[in-house]
Amino acid sequence: MSSHREAPEIAKDPVADSTDVYAFVSPDRPDTVTLIANYIPLEGPAGGPNFYSFGDEVLYEIHVDNDADAQADITYQFRFQTMLTNPDTFLYNTGPILSLNSPNWNSRQFYTVTRLSGGRSQVLASGLSCPPCNIGPLSTPDYARLAQSAVHDIPGGIKVFAGQRAEGFYVDLGAVFDLADLRPFEQLHAQYGMNVFSGSAPGVNATAQLNVHSIAIQVPISQLLWGGRHGDVADQASVIGVWTSASRQRVNLWDAERSQVVTSGPFHQVSRLANPLFNEVLIPLGLKDLWNTLPPSDDKRFADRVAHPELAGLLPALYPGVFPNLDKLVKSSKPRADLEAILLTGIPSGIVTGFQNFTGPVLADMLRLNTAIPPSTNASQLGVLGGDLAGFPNGRRVFDDVVSIELRAIAGVTVPLVDKTFTPDAAASKVTDGLTAASVPSGYLSTFPYLGVPYSGFSTPSS
Amino acid sequence: MSPQSHADPAVDTPATASERSRLMSRRSVLRGATGVGAVGLAAATGAGTAVALTRQTTQTAAPAARPIAMAAMPPNAMAGPLVVYLRDTNTGEMDVFAGTGQVRVRDSALVAQLLRAMR
Repeated sequence: MSSHREAPEIAKDPVADSTDVYAFVSPDRPDTVTLIANYIPLEGPAGGPNFYSFGDEVLYEIHVDNDADAQADITYQFRFQTMLTNPDTFLYNTGPILSLNSPNWNSRQFYTVTRLSGGRSQVLASGLSCPPCNIGPLSTPDYARLAQSAVHDIPGGIKVFAGQRAEGFYVDLGAVFDLADLRPFEQLHAQYGMNVFSGSAPGVNATAQLNVHSIAIQVPISQLLWGGRHGDVADQASVIGVWTSASRQRVNLWDAERSQVVTSGPFHQVSRLANPLFNEVLIPLGLKDLWNTLPPSDDKRFADRVAHPELAGLLPALYPGVFPNLDKLVKSSKPRADLEAILLTGIPSGIVTGFQNFTGPVLADMLRLNTAIPPSTNASQLGVLGGDLAGFPNGRRVFDDVVSIELRAIAGVTVPLVDKTFTPDAAASKVTDGLTAASVPSGYLSTFPYLGVPYSGFSTPSS
Repeated sequence: MSPQSHADPAVDTPATASERSRLMSRRSVLRGATGVGAVGLAAATGAGTAVALTRQTTQTAAPAARPIAMAAMPPNAMAGPLVVYLRDTNTGEMDVFAGTGQVRVRDSALVAQLLRAMR
């Protein structure tokens, strides 16, 4: 998955488990950037009576580096508070929820947005209401409208939303984690001599009917860049680095007499995410939770995992004869400078015509967005690989096919960006798990918060 | 600010990478000692005393003669419950948590008193 349950410890703490981060120039408000951080992986829509909510004890943050040092220059903090209207019922709601102030809605969540910058903390808004979860036609009969009313305009021309959304990330989890099976090519898999597959099969979107909880904020570009808006694609100051983190207080103690958790002490980071699949695929199991606690500026210690990705060595072994050139490259032990550029420094000018998202030599996993590149009118899900400079790895849009992009990059398709003598295998540019944005049943919204209306518990799974 | 730790800088300054790798995980406080001789103790303000003993030391070390506060706890950090994590019974070193603050103190006499209470 992108970063769902990617590390042993954080997999036990879903409300603090970041799943995806998105950063893109808003297609309908191109003078703004939309930043989205998703949490709570694999939410079953019928999760009542205690439907999913953010963690009241978790400090959620979206960080922006605008001066290329992999340190947060601007941080948006989100803190949540759950309120029970009537603790004497087991019900989430006691009637239809038609508005955010419905007396029928029992378990509600409110939040505060705080901006940190230059050592200064500024509460942007508080008491903002999350929408309820999408329950069904009796409880949330006009859900799309109800949820849209939870898009809040706050001072500074900023929009915020925090609540349940349909999972927009698509991936064939069942196959990928069955020893890197890619269904469209599974007949080519070595299969360990078992000959399970004789032909290709279409991909299966394992997240197709699942929800997540999204924190989305849309901010004028001028508020994110060092010195205001630059607007020049070639200007390094047009590039921002983005990541999310979740932190918990150091002490988390169960008070049995009060039947509640007691928290105390400084906040300590327990989850981090920027580029999809970074921690999930590149970092080994024994280091994943450590990686989650560290800032991007410490990623130099993991650079070798990027330069020599384990999966690049597995592909030729699992698909014999399909990736001969990749096999030679792996066996040469030559560092993958292409992956280092994509994931750790950004792509410098002169590599891809009309594009750069370079943030300097500091090796750091950040989602790098060149804010001077306008939204595409003819978007490609393959982003920069598909000739669409407004897509991943220039930030990340909600519909970008990051699984195929990263699989192809690891398979060698991006090596010629830094080594003209290398010829990618023919298969490298075709690698996919067989899914596209059309594999997401909810689809996406054309306006903020862009991720689709969550699946309702009543209708998911369908009979 | 450091993204990995949020606290009053007087209490918890950003750690270096090597220091961070040695820091307690968030669950180590719950589960017990990461090093030999750590003892977990917790008290809700006005509501109780020691509730958990996770491990005792078998090592020896020179105890501190009197309480030593290694960093100041800011006044505004004292809201809510106060939790003490006894890191090492030999040195008498404890982490005291309150609000969003943390302070490390060394008090062998208090440690001895607490251990007696647990018997």
